[in-house]
Amino acid sequence: MTLSKERIGALFFLVVSIVYGYLASEIKLYPGDELDPMTAQTLPFVLSGMGIVLSLVLIISGDHRVSDSGIVRLNWKPVIALMLLTLFYGFSLDWLGFLISTTVFLIAGFRILGEKRIKVLLLVAVPFVFIFWFGLTQLLDIYLAPGRIFGG
Amino acid sequence: MLDGIITGLQTALLPTNLMMVVLGCFVGTFIGMLPGLGPVSAIALMIPITYGIDPASGIILMAGVYYGAIFGGSTSSILINAPGCSGTVVTAFDGYPLAAKGQAGKALALAAYASFSGGTISAIFLLLAAPTLAKVSLSFQSADYFALMVLGLSAVAAFSGKGQVLKALIMTVFGLMLSTVGTDRATGVERFTFGSIDLLDGISFLLLAMATFALAEAMMSVLERVDEGAETQDMTKLGSMKLSKEEIKEVAPTVARSSVLGFLVGVLPGAGATIAAFLAYGVDRNLAKGGKKDEFGTGSLRGLAAPESANNAASSGSFVPLLTLGIPGSGTTAIMLGALISYGIQPGPRLFVDHPEVFWSVIISMYVGNVVLLILNLPLIPYISRLLIIPKPILVPMILLFSITGVYLVSFNSMDILIMAGICALAIFLRLLTFPMAPLLLGFILGGMMEDNLRRALLINDDSLSFLWERPITLTIMLITLLILVAPLFQKAIKRFFHIESGAESLTID
Repeated sequence: MTLSKERIGALFFLVVSIVYGYLASEIKLYPGDELDPMTAQTLPFVLSGMGIVLSLVLIISGDHRVSDSGIVRLNWKPVIALMLLTLFYGFSLDWLGFLISTTVFLIAGFRILGEKRIKVLLLVAVPFVFIFWFGLTQLLDIYLAPGRIFGG
Repeated sequence: MLDGIITGLQTALLPTNLMMVVLGCFVGTFIGMLPGLGPVSAIALMIPITYGIDPASGIILMAGVYYGAIFGGSTSSILINAPGCSGTVVTAFDGYPLAAKGQAGKALALAAYASFSGGTISAIFLLLAAPTLAKVSLSFQSADYFALMVLGLSAVAAFSGKGQVLKALIMTVFGLMLSTVGTDRATGVERFTFGSIDLLDGISFLLLAMATFALAEAMMSVLERVDEGAETQDMTKLGSMKLSKEEIKEVAPTVARSSVLGFLVGVLPGAGATIAAFLAYGVDRNLAKGGKKDEFGTGSLRGLAAPESANNAASSGSFVPLLTLGIPGSGTTAIMLGALISYGIQPGPRLFVDHPEVFWSVIISMYVGNVVLLILNLPLIPYISRLLIIPKPILVPMILLFSITGVYLVSFNSMDILIMAGICALAIFLRLLTFPMAPLLLGFILGGMMEDNLRRALLINDDSLSFLWERPITLTIMLITLLILVAPLFQKAIKRFFHIESGAESLTID
């Protein structure tokens, strides 16, 4: 069975709301809190209920036509590559430090989006990162820890 | 009030703050021109920079970016038929045909004059309306605030366009859910932290804004290849920028009408620049007579002036609820509210009393921003638009880098980058399913305040919810909320009854 965009979203939120409601019941309260009219659990429970009701309504009333949205035909490859690059950047910042990881991030980013000329890659990324780094550390006096491989 | 205006003038006209307006307008114009990146992203990218400067200058910078972004959006609407933000979609209807006829210069100039007039007229309204409303709202209690926030959130959903109401409501609830992550402010209990120290303080507002807007919009532009295939005008040849006397006479009433309309729409919570522009365009087309009516859509000057004055007027108008009630009516003002809170300033009726310099300087700087756009940006458009020639493979990674480092340089926690990537992936998924993002941000920002106010109202009222119908102000606000939420249902029923096919465009909130 294929689902319309609306129903996929609604199902997603139905699951989110149920899980959220379950997690809300796990919130640990302090003794005596339960006497208050509003505890730390109250709003989460209300929200979970609203989420469940709204997603059910959307599932029932939503557009049932499956439109050929061409999601598959979208330009997925570079976006996935850029997402992975972002994750890599998150890891590498701690290990390689700002200068190296940012330069790598930019060069790889340019490359992913189709810039192939090595001259351009280097001539844009390296000076840009250096100026950015200089501005941060020297002008704004922001401390950027060196990468762990350099003992930072 | 005069004292306030003088304080505002003194603050807004400080050389640093003037520089902020100019800088904000330029940066905003540039980012606004990039198809796909809207004012919310532009402002989000500015927030990390504003942490280092004082709150008044920070908010002035962001206001400048806001105007700049809308103006920049118009420029790309006119020149390349690719609206930079949803508020300027209508501008392209008549702006691009004008540019195609070789009158790009005239179209740009008219857009700038119309924006300027719209901005000016509504800045004057703001000057008059805001202090009065702020005084009235000083008598508001927690119960009323709670009701107002419910109204604001429902209105955003209700105005989000055909077939979008339920989705917007769900996104609002999702935003509220995200706001409950972290330590509960009243009881100190940990909620949804999964034992992680990184989540004790909750999800950072800046992170959420960057991931759902700046990062996600940049990624979406790659995903959908926005600018490929767009017919571009030769931007160096804009043609004459002069308007004849007859032309000015023709558009003047349109500008006046649309400015007032835009301001009023902007004040309403939930309805922003986009809806104002659509409305103004529709109204003017209906008012036009004979041949003038047929010109709409083929390069009508009135068709360009109407949305341009309205969207700028609405931008100023949307500051009224933000500054006086502390309740943002759109994604853009929501992000400004988030920024103000992170400076330690709580917008709302007390802002007027506690931080008059912020209150007044924002209002004054709006005016200055309009002047800057007119006298500095307009002549520089050919040069700024040349920046659009920067190839996408270079531009997109830069934007990604600025969004990521913007968050990282505030927290210095590389874990944030990973969380950002996760939220961005989720945002792309939801955007593809056509779920709107602005209600999420609004729900997230208002969530904490809503819970606080409800809790306080319950305490004051001996744990009873009766304040919802016993306090006249609260009751009125709740009734309006109900009306707004129920209205679309009736509209549907009426349409079904009369078999009316609606041709209304689906709008997105900016």
